[in-house]
Order: sequence, then structure tokens, then C-alpha cells
Amino acid sequence: MRLTNLPAAMAKRLAELECPDFKTRPWVEGPPLARRRVAVVSSAGLVVRGEKPFRGRDPDFRAIPGTTRPDQLLMSHISINYDRTGFQEDWNVVFPLDRLGELAAEGAIGSVAATHYSFMGATYPVLMEDYAREVAGRLKQDKVDAVILSPV
Amino acid sequence: MIEEQGVATVAISLIRPQTENTKPPRALWVPFELGRPFGPPSDPAFQRRVILAALRMLEEGGGPVRIEDFPDDDPRERPDPGWEPPFAGAAPVDGSTAALADAFEAELPRLAAAYEQSVKRRGRTTVGLSGLPISAAAHYLAAWLLGEAPASPVADMSAPLALRFVLDDLKAYYLEAALAPSSKPSSRQLADWLWNETAAGKAMFALRRANLDAADERLKLIASNFMVPGIRAVAAG
Repeated sequence: MRLTNLPAAMAKRLAELECPDFKTRPWVEGPPLARRRVAVVSSAGLVVRGEKPFRGRDPDFRAIPGTTRPDQLLMSHISINYDRTGFQEDWNVVFPLDRLGELAAEGAIGSVAATHYSFMGATYPVLMEDYAREVAGRLKQDKVDAVILSPV
Repeated sequence: MIEEQGVATVAISLIRPQTENTKPPRALWVPFELGRPFGPPSDPAFQRRVILAALRMLEEGGGPVRIEDFPDDDPRERPDPGWEPPFAGAAPVDGSTAALADAFEAELPRLAAAYEQSVKRRGRTTVGLSGLPISAAAHYLAAWLLGEAPASPVADMSAPLALRFVLDDLKAYYLEAALAPSSKPSSRQLADWLWNETAAGKAMFALRRANLDAADERLKLIASNFMVPGIRAVAAG
């Protein structure tokens, strides 16, 4: 977003929020996009209807199968300070599964992952590390070689 | 963390300074409001451009840290002058919380038809975190507003957590009902209607005020942080 659109104090708070300081600078290369298997990893607190929603600052994740229908996906993020009406109107605003399916069908990407993942981003990054490694392991098992990290 | 484990990533960035400080391998900054990483709803062509702009960074070098900027604003951030809310103006109340609670519960049936049509048109709803029918959710909120401190109506869920999920469900119900066909309201139009024109909005403001000093720390936290958006709470004073 354009921080200039916010009240000055709010913009300052967002711009100066303490961010994790990662010690490494990894860089993974791979095949052309038309051969890549793509997954979404969201921080929107997404959960399949009927499964346990994120309840607080939970650092774990939920698996979102690629066969999930739009009416099956809920958002249980703890913050109420971002727009949800975009997601309410169209899930692709936050979880673009339909768009990825179209891109795969036309050959722009190789394929769509069997499973996608969601964290609830308003938590403590250091507590997420083991879960992030677990998600990476599951992505690799599914031969995913391209991940879009999607915030809210 | 995922790239470190050997899987290439590209992040969508909504707040550029945070991305600059975090230094991911690749990031596409987008100028959209928080909550819209892939841009406007119901605009497949635009969303596709965002996704491809991000994914194409995976084919390019220039690491270990690259941030690019998506150039176009979300066209849905502009208000739609043709949009009309399900109803305009909450029924007047005499200032008592009992009257406000009654007005709020009486307001819900005014939305039922619009909500059902909206769900049918979109094929989905995001209501469901509390698991309660919407009338039961509204009744639970009204009980809190009346100072009853009701027990949780949901097994395995504390009363404050049930309240938080009820709040999420009610907001979703109202906002989904307001997604009128053949119009493209901005998020601002929708939120202004909810918070300024409905008994539900007034009820949530009142509940927040009543519980900012609650003895239950969980309730106090919900009242201060998870009931009314910060920017609106500050504006209301």
C-alpha cells in the first residue's frame, strides 16, 4: 500500500515495525516458469471450514488442499485492521487458486501444487521457524519449486 | 525460511519499508490496501498481471535480494457512485444500551434477503468462524452489550474467543449483504456504511467503550484491539 494514504502516525508505526533479521541470504534458482510447480503460502490465517481456526497468535499453519472450493475457505486472522471485503467478494484477492489453475491450463506455469499453506502472520517469527521448515519439507515432497508468499 | 530449505520464493509486499528491512530473496511491492495482496476483487485480468509479475521474478537473477514495484493502483479503491447499501441509516435509539441491543437484533432481518442473494451470486460466504447461526451470534453479542457476560455458546471455545469470532461473523454477514449486484463498491464505502449507518456498528462501538476497562484481561484486549478497527476507534475518540 501507499503509506502516504495513511495518517502519519499509523504510517510511521507500520514503516518502523521491528522485522526479523535473518542471518542468511538464500537464493534458489530453477527451471523456466512454464515448468514450475507453484504453491501459495499465505499469512492470512486461512483455514478450511470445519477445521480448527487460528485462535490467537498461533505460530503454526494450516494446509489448504488444491481441491478446496471457495465456499470452504475461511479467514481467521486476528487483526481487524485490514480490508476483508476484497476476500469476501472474491477469494482470489488473497488466495488466487482460480488464477493459478488458469495459468497452468494455458501453460504459463507448469502446474499447481496439490497443497497450499496458511500461517497467521500476526505472531512471533521466531516461533514460526520450525513450522516453516515443516512446510518447506512438505512443499518439496510435492515437488513444488515456486512459492508465492502472500501477506494481508 | 522456505528459500533456505531449497524452495524458490517470491513475496508479495504490501508495506515496502518492512520488506526492505526483512530482505527476502524476491519481493513484488504492490500499492494495494492491506488485505488485497493480489489486487481488486472480480478482476481476473488484473490479478493475473500481479501474479505473473511476481512469478517472473523467479526467472531473473540479480539476487540475493530483489524488490520490484508493481506500477498500477487497484481500480476498486475508487468509490462507486452507483452503489447503494442494503439500507441507509440505523433506526434511531434513545441512547440506552437496551434500546441499542433491540435495534441491532431487529436490524438483522433487514439484511437477510440481501445476504442470501449475495451468497447465491458469489457461491460462498466467509461467515462461519463461530459456527453459530447468525441470529444466535447476534443474540450473543446483544447479551454482552447488555452487560450479561454470557457463557460461551460454543463447546471448546472460551466466552471471549466466542465473542471475537461472533464479531468476525457479524461483520462478514453485513459486508457480504452489502455487495450489491452490478456495482463495485470500494472497501471504504462498505466499511463507512457498516460503522456509521448501522445499529451493528453502533453496538460494537458501545461494547468497545464499555469493556476497555474490563476486569477480564482477555475481554479488555478484545475490546481495545479486536472489535473496532484502530483508525475508526481513534476517529471516534
